[in-house]
Parts: sequence; C-alpha cells; structure tokens
Amino acid sequence: MSDILVLDDVLDAVILIKKILTRQGHSVVTFTEEEEAIEHARKNPVDLAILDIKLKKMSGIQVLEELKKTTPDLKVIMLTGYPTIETAREAIELGAGEYCVKPIDKTELEEKVAGILAR
Amino acid sequence: MTMDLTDKNSDYLEVFQAVTRLISSLHDPQQVMDLVVRRLPELLEIDAATIRLLDPGTDSFVFGAAYGLSDEYLARSTIDSTEVMAALKKGEPIAKKDIDILCDHDSCVYISQEGVKSAMSLPIIFNNEVIGLLRLLTRDSREFAQSEIAFAMSLAEQVGMALTNSRLFQELEVQVKFLSELREISSLVNSTLNLDDILKIIVDKLPPLLKVKGCTVRLLHPATNRLELVAASGLSDKYLNRGSISRENAFFKAVSGQPVAIYDATNDPRVDYHEAIREEGIKSILVVPIKNGRDIIGILRLLSNQPRSFTQNEINFTVTVAEEGGNAIQKARTYRQITLLFEQIEENERFLHTILDSLWLQLLVVAPDKRVIMANKFFLETRGFEENEVLGEFYHNVVPWHRIDASHCPVTTVFEEQKSVAVLDHLENLENPEGAKWYERHLTPILGPDGEVDFVIEAVRDITDQQLLEQEKMERVKLEGVIEMAGTAAHELNSPLFAALGTAQLLRDDLTSKEMIEEMDMIIRNMKRMAELTREMTEVTGFESREYVGKTKIVSLKSNSQ
Repeated sequence: MSDILVLDDVLDAVILIKKILTRQGHSVVTFTEEEEAIEHARKNPVDLAILDIKLKKMSGIQVLEELKKTTPDLKVIMLTGYPTIETAREAIELGAGEYCVKPIDKTELEEKVAGILAR
Repeated sequence: MTMDLTDKNSDYLEVFQAVTRLISSLHDPQQVMDLVVRRLPELLEIDAATIRLLDPGTDSFVFGAAYGLSDEYLARSTIDSTEVMAALKKGEPIAKKDIDILCDHDSCVYISQEGVKSAMSLPIIFNNEVIGLLRLLTRDSREFAQSEIAFAMSLAEQVGMALTNSRLFQELEVQVKFLSELREISSLVNSTLNLDDILKIIVDKLPPLLKVKGCTVRLLHPATNRLELVAASGLSDKYLNRGSISRENAFFKAVSGQPVAIYDATNDPRVDYHEAIREEGIKSILVVPIKNGRDIIGILRLLSNQPRSFTQNEINFTVTVAEEGGNAIQKARTYRQITLLFEQIEENERFLHTILDSLWLQLLVVAPDKRVIMANKFFLETRGFEENEVLGEFYHNVVPWHRIDASHCPVTTVFEEQKSVAVLDHLENLENPEGAKWYERHLTPILGPDGEVDFVIEAVRDITDQQLLEQEKMERVKLEGVIEMAGTAAHELNSPLFAALGTAQLLRDDLTSKEMIEEMDMIIRNMKRMAELTREMTEVTGFESREYVGKTKIVSLKSNSQ
C-alpha cells in the first residue's frame, strides 16, 4: 500500500478523499494548509500527492513545483473545479500524472489512484 | 578773288543771293549744310569748305558737312590751334595762311598731307551765340582780304539763320511727329499688363522713330537693385553680352535722373567697352532714366550707327517715352505681383477646399442671417444635395438635425453667446424606429475684428453606429456578468458536491438493506445529475472573465469543445 498526501482548501473534500483511499488500504495524510503539506512531504515518504489547484495562499501548481524539488519521483494527481488549458499544461510539464475535474466520481478516483501508483 | 571792287561787290551780291535763295528753300539742316559746303568753293573760288556744329554736351565742335576734303583730314582730333578756336568761340572770324607750316598743334600732319595752306574760320552765330563754325580752305597760300572775311561772315550768319530756321522747322515737324508717336506708344504700352509686351513695344518702336540702330532697356531688380538687361532690339548678342555697364559714368548720371547724350561713343569716357562699341558700329548713344513717379527703375539706351548730336526734342521725347514706359512697367509688375498673389490665394483656397471636402465630417458655415454660406462635399453627398441647393438657403431648411420643437437652436446660441457649443442629438425616426440617428455637433464662432460673430462653423459627426456599438457592448457586458456568475456558482458548488457525492458513495458501500441502498442510489443519482449540471454551467461560461490562478483565467470550454 502507498503513502498518499492530500491537499485541498475544502476540509470536507480532504476528509472524503482520505475515507475513500483509506478503504483501499492506503495510508492517507490530509492538509488544508500548503506549508504544512510541503513540510510533511519534505520529512516523510510520500508515494502520491493529490493536490487541488485552487488553494488558500499558493496555487496547486506552485505546491507541485515545491514538492517535485524535494521528491522528483513523486506521483501527483491534480484536482480542479476550474479546468483550464494553462493549468493543465503547467501541471503536466511539472510532472503531474493526472489532471481530474471535480466533482470526481468515487470509482473514477479509485481507478485513477490505482492506475498512477501502478505506473 | 582778284576782281576790282565794283565787280567784287556785284559778285558778292550774286553769291549772297544765290546762297540765300538756295538755303531758304530747304528745311533740313543737313541739306543746308551740305549745300553750303558744296556751293561755296565754286562761288568763292576756294578748294574746300567744312561746317562743324557745337555739341553743348561736350562743348566741342562735331562734324556737320564737308566738301573737297579726305575722311582722314576730317577725322583729325584737333581742328585748329587753341588761339583760333578761342577766337571762334568768342564769335570772331580768323583767317590764316601757311597753316601747314605755321602749325602748333597735334594734327599738323593731316593739314600738310591734305595740302591745305590757308584757312578762313568763321563762327556761325545765331542770337549772339556760337552754334558752329564754317571753314573755307585753299590749297594755295592765300591772304584773305578783309572784305572777303566780312562777306564770308555775312554768309556764315546766313548759314546760321538758315541752320537755325531749318532746325526749328525740323524740330517742329519732329515735335508734331513725336507727339503723335508718343500718343501711340503711350496707348500701346498702356493697352497691356504684360511686362514683356510693354518692353518689346518700347525697344521696337523707338529705333525707327529716332532713326537709330538699336535700343536697350535695363531695369533695376527690385530685390537686389542690380541692373538687368530685360529687352533689346537691333543689337548683336555679342554686344549685349559685353559685360556690366553699372560702373559707367553715363549709367550713374542716368540713374540720378539726367539724360546723357554721347556724340562719339567710341572714345567718350562716359561709356566703357569702346572696342565692343566700335565693332558693333555704334557711333552715338543716348541714355535716359526710366522713371516711375520719382523712382528711377531702370535706364533706356538708344544706339545710333551714325554720329549723332541728339536734339533736345529727341532727348525730351525719349525721356517722355521712358517715363510712360516706366509707369506701364510698374503697373505690369504690380499686376504680375497681384496675379501671383491671387494665384497663391486660389491655390490655398483649393488646398483648404480639398481638406474640407476630405473630412469625414459634415461641415457647414452659417452667416448671421442663418443662411448657409459653405457646405463641404461630405455634407452634400450625405444629404444628397447639390451645392447650389444649399448655399444661400436657410440653415434650418437644409440640416436634418434642426428640430422645430427645440427651444433654442445651438447656432443661435453660438451667435448670441460667442462661445463654442457641443451638442449630442438623438433623432427618432417615427416611420422606422431602427433608423434613429445620433449626431455629435460642434459649433464654433468665428469672431470679426469688432468682436461680433461673423460666422458659425458647425462640424457634425454621425455617431449612430458608435452609439449602437456602445449599447451592444453594454448588453454584452451584462450578459457576461450573468454567465460569469453562473460559472462561479457552478465552481463553488463543485467542491461541496464532490464531498457530498463521495460521502454518499462511501455510505452506499456500507449499506446492506436493499431498500436503503435503493434510496442511497437515488441520492447519488441526483447528486450526479447536479454534478452534470454544474459541469454544463462551467462549460457555458465561455468567457475569460475572472482571475483564477496566477495569470490564468477560466478558458472557454464550450468554444474549445466545439
């Protein structure tokens, strides 16, 4: 099973993702603050990060860039309520594996996580 | 003359009568002189005779007529000794023999070559003034008797009278002729305002009238004050191009207002270029100023190919023609300046007209009586008018933006308040509501020297299209706002919807009761339906209207998907 980091400014969203992925047997750590998430990733092993694009202080793209600095092999799924070509292109260029649009279906989320971890 | 006294007296009387008879029938001084010098040698038993006339201009005696002598002798520079010339000028006759031997001047060689031995020199007197001299010459040494001298003096007096009378007669004839010619020239030069034509009339008309070879006109350039040759006749290009004459004494005298008559132009120090003058065959020159009022604007020169002592009449006539010419020249110059000025004004007017006609504005100029005095091409074309249908018409009859119900016409306001006015007019079209027009009008007063408004200029722009675009833009902005709000709402719904849907799906996994599962499925189905709706709403917001992350804005999903 994998260590998964989830970062979203909406607390209910991170709780939900944690519940879904914990049931899949993963170890899930959730954050609503960007700095805390980056700090955690710097100090602990993380296999997959699920990042919302619209956060409080930074953007998900900036967080992705920071995380990739310390863990270049980190697998990342980006979540967004505002899908844009610009953010999609940036996310892919910075090494995000998936770019998903909210609201994502539970099954779809499970499949995407399984898929990216299997790569 | 070796006759006894009675015979001599009788002969003298005969000669005197013959001379008197001959000369009284002639009116031409030259003919009188020619006749006298031809007949006297025969009558007085002498070998040769000459007549010279006093040129008051140079105070010297110039050739008049001769008989029995060579050209070389006649062309000698000194006529006789200083003593003889002084006596003649005092009016005293003087007779000398052996003048070829007893000679004390620089022309003795000519006298001896010619074989002249005795000379009787007689002053030709009229009205107590010496006007010339008559010389009777013999080639044998001869002592002239006092009676011969006295007789010759009386003949010389006769000659003087005849010369003077014929001169007067000729002068009168010439004066009459000159008056008539002057009238003609005056009428000709005043019949045109063309400067070149005037100059041509002067240089073509004068030479035949005054029996001279050619004529030149030089004018002082108004800007540089330099003398420029502007017209000439009867002279070669080589002569005309001999050089500047502005350093000649004759020119200085002429520009100071005095005419200058030069008998011997080939030697006279008052003119330069003697060699060129000789080559051209010019003997005498008359220079007169060309005046316009008090101002001297140039000089006119008459050039004779015969030695010529210009008479006062001829000089006066030339001066008068030059004055007439001067006035006409000045008129022509003024006319030329006015024409140039007029052409410049016309050119400026055309230029301004072109600019006004090229403006994308309807332009009108209105006079204080509210009549239109100018309308540009754009106005005429837009309104479908010909210019004559607008000019002079009342303003309110030709403009569509004049309202009958308007309490005060802006044109009137500008005339009254002398201030510029800007008006935005909306004209409804009752027959066609979509044909309503918007006009932006700028009215500007043009003030006269008295501070009153002379004209009002109205520039009108049809801004209907612009107004319609503005309205359309405003509506579009409103619509964008609505759509944007819908998009924002959809996004804001996505996160809670995601949490609710996911949680419901998790709960469904935990349920075992078929009934509960069906109810949960209904909740999940409806939430998915809501998710579909928010997605569609997001797709509808096809506008870049809101900051998202960084510099990124929401993209047009709908247009991208299409």
